[in-house]
Amino acid sequence: MADIPDDAAEVPVPTVEVGSLLPRLDRGEKIVLLDVRNEEEFDSWKVEARRPVETVHVPYFDFIEDADASIAKVPCDRDVVVLCAQGGSSEMVAGMLQEAGIPSANIKGGMIAYGVYLEPVRFPLAPGEADRFELWQVNRRGKACLSYVIVSGGEAVVVDPSRHVEWYEGFAVERGARIVRVLDTHVHADHVSGGPALARRRGVPYFVAAGEGFELDQPVTPLADGQRVRVGGEKGVSIEMRVIRTPGHTPGSTSFLVDGTYLLTGDTLFVASVGRPDLGGHVDLWGRALFDTLRRRLADLPGETRVLPAHYGGTSEISPEGLVWGRLGDLRQSVPEMRIATAEAFVEAVRSAVKDPPKAYAEIIKVNLGAPATEEKISEWELGKNQCAAAASKSAGA
Amino acid sequence: MALKKLDVRGAKCPIPIVKAKKEMDAMAPGDQLEVTATDPGSVPDFQGWVKTAKHALLKEQRTEKDEGGKELYIHLLERR
Repeated sequence: MADIPDDAAEVPVPTVEVGSLLPRLDRGEKIVLLDVRNEEEFDSWKVEARRPVETVHVPYFDFIEDADASIAKVPCDRDVVVLCAQGGSSEMVAGMLQEAGIPSANIKGGMIAYGVYLEPVRFPLAPGEADRFELWQVNRRGKACLSYVIVSGGEAVVVDPSRHVEWYEGFAVERGARIVRVLDTHVHADHVSGGPALARRRGVPYFVAAGEGFELDQPVTPLADGQRVRVGGEKGVSIEMRVIRTPGHTPGSTSFLVDGTYLLTGDTLFVASVGRPDLGGHVDLWGRALFDTLRRRLADLPGETRVLPAHYGGTSEISPEGLVWGRLGDLRQSVPEMRIATAEAFVEAVRSAVKDPPKAYAEIIKVNLGAPATEEKISEWELGKNQCAAAASKSAGA
Repeated sequence: MALKKLDVRGAKCPIPIVKAKKEMDAMAPGDQLEVTATDPGSVPDFQGWVKTAKHALLKEQRTEKDEGGKELYIHLLERR
């Protein structure tokens, strides 16, 4: 019978970083993911990739209680990577497997690391655009949250950053740009924004609109509907971002139109659904506002407009290049809510699709409005995937 | 019947279960073990482990905060 190590931390086992594992799972490499979390955590939040992930679930306490029977459940003809909540139990189990002769590696940091990992993907721009700017979609895979970095003429604007602000600072340096402005499309309910902290650290303007009924306790540089923000200037290279108020998901929701073509919609319009307008408890009022935004405020934008949202619902929404986007003209046809003709029917549709709100959303909203919170609490609230769309979407293999 | 106490405050998984298993293995059926933990994940973990190990979970209690400002999770187990 395999021994249970006295101190799991002392068993040397190979480790694998989330950032190197995910591309391998995306490519469909033959890897077995052994998830050793308890059932509750396993059921509520899983590692997803662009191809179905072969997952075996055996809780770590089963390995403690009956090592031999548990080890027998692990396929031994493929690479095994072991996952738990924080990386401690998976390290113990990977050690037991190694001892039993099954090559295995521990996923460093577990689901916590998965939940904060950021993957930058460059949007392939047209030749006339690519010499003026770069557009990066930063995918927070574990939460299916998308943020954006727009680089032009030595300057960078960051939109909807997650709270791991050092990452964006490092990324801007890598791209040879200084961050000059930080924008949030709305007061997020599913994750704590890095916007205020990033703007404070760089000493640059920060924008978010909370909207009516919310008291914002953050220093904000207001932007008016229709206002144009210039990015760049070095060597005569620059672009414009246009501010478009798009209330509905929240009363303050704002979209940003980059260089006339790329529309960062936040949670207003996703590629398979629309933002849920129920989180404020005014589904009728906010739902009507969202209908008006989608049918009227965005009506003038050409079908060729590229929609780049702040979330996706499932890996099926990720393109082969690893991007989440859609042509506005296509989405007007393919997103069910976009085809509803009347405000009444629209409100009814989003009302009937209402599901559980994001975990700890009330607390997260408070922090994004400016209330203090400890890192430990934020980390606990942010566990799990986002629940921001009005309708559920499918994941690969699900 | 004996009651033992196990303090695993500050320990993260798998340590609380590893230590609880060691204690329980040395106990007689009917004996009880009271585990004090600070890891919120210990709640579903102990619930799952007692099912596998076929022990009983008599009581689970979350206290507000200890002197260090940590929430405590107390698990009362019985050896079967």
